[in-house]
Amino acid sequence: MNTQEYISSGIIESYVLGLANPEEVIECERMCAEHAEVLAAREAFEVQLETHLFRQRAIPPRELKSRIFSRIGMEEVELEQQILQKKPVLVPRVGFPRFVAAASVILMLGSVLLNLYLLSQYKHSIALYKELVESQAQLANSNQYLNAKLKLYETALNEMKDPRMEIVKMPAIPTGPSASSLATVYWDTSSRAVWLLVNQLPKPATGKQYQLWAMVDGKPVDAGIFDVNEGISFVKLKTIPRAQAFAITLEKQGGSETPDMDAMYVMGKVTG
Amino acid sequence: MGLEATYNEQELVMALKARNHQAFGYLYDKYSGSLYSIILQIIQNPTLSNDVLQDVFVNIWRKIETYDPTKGRLFTWMLNISRNASIDLLRSRNYQDGQKNQELKGNVYQGVQSTQTNTDAIGLTKFLVKLRPEHRVLIELAYFKGYTHEEIAEIEDIPLGTVKTRIRSALMQLREFLK
Repeated sequence: MNTQEYISSGIIESYVLGLANPEEVIECERMCAEHAEVLAAREAFEVQLETHLFRQRAIPPRELKSRIFSRIGMEEVELEQQILQKKPVLVPRVGFPRFVAAASVILMLGSVLLNLYLLSQYKHSIALYKELVESQAQLANSNQYLNAKLKLYETALNEMKDPRMEIVKMPAIPTGPSASSLATVYWDTSSRAVWLLVNQLPKPATGKQYQLWAMVDGKPVDAGIFDVNEGISFVKLKTIPRAQAFAITLEKQGGSETPDMDAMYVMGKVTG
Repeated sequence: MGLEATYNEQELVMALKARNHQAFGYLYDKYSGSLYSIILQIIQNPTLSNDVLQDVFVNIWRKIETYDPTKGRLFTWMLNISRNASIDLLRSRNYQDGQKNQELKGNVYQGVQSTQTNTDAIGLTKFLVKLRPEHRVLIELAYFKGYTHEEIAEIEDIPLGTVKTRIRSALMQLREFLK
């Protein structure tokens, strides 16, 4: 039988309508797989049948659809229950390690997240701690500084107010480098220690330092070098047993043996 | 474009195999009328046909995994499920017992019985009326009652070869009728 004869035989229609016997079914499936025109004839008949029955359709009662849906819905629930009931041993066997694996992954993720959180909190705490230590050190520093300053001022004030002190005012040399300069010598009449208060002196250039001289019988004697600090500069210098006058010159760093008379800022005579 | 989804046959089958309820609703809306008509033609009792249609759609949902597109269209597959379910009902003991009672009643109320058996010309029965009587009876027995060719040969007392030839000839007429 060639394909055209096969198409005209009615076997295709028997096959589609479910009237073919098992041999015819196998034969028809083989013919459709091997011959495109047989397959096309089968599909054409199927479409025609479908179209015809669609035109001739009868409308089923409305409630059927929802009844069918509730049945398939119940079957799905039953199916799930059957699976749960039928495998009471298998489910734990297969499921428990899985559950444990899943749980451990979740726990590990949780632990990683917690650790990350704790690490960030720890870093934050460390930063806070460092800040605290720093500010504490700053406070201690400034406290020390204030203490030192306070001690200095106390000392200065105690020395200055002491009745033993002989005060030698040293005004500026009118022709000197700075006409507004002023310094005061507090000379201990009993110990002969010399204290110097800088009332006003310009800040020395780098590499230079001020030096106090005592004029003893017309000769300058080194009374010590000193720095000019911010605030009050009140320093104890050398002990000078005898002097008729005091003067300050600007010398090289560390002082000189003889004063540079051109760089004399202030001078004052001892009145007593 | 509405919100309602439409599918081509391949998409529909895929969605059904994925157990998509929306696709199943679409399938029902599109095909329930056609299948209901063939079920009614075989069973000829609306109440029983309703039950069969329900079973058919539940079976389609259950068996969609076994549907093989190389063996025919989705509708052909569903049509055969519907026909088989209807014939199974006709052959079930409960139905046959019921029919015997009907026949007893039918003897009393012959008028009622005759109008019941006189099927409305719907679906394929519209085609049947166009066939020659010797062809028509064979299609009725084979397609609508589900008898095998051998059974038909016995019932009608004609050779098996003649049954086959007549049925195939009737089916070729059906193809022409459907065109």
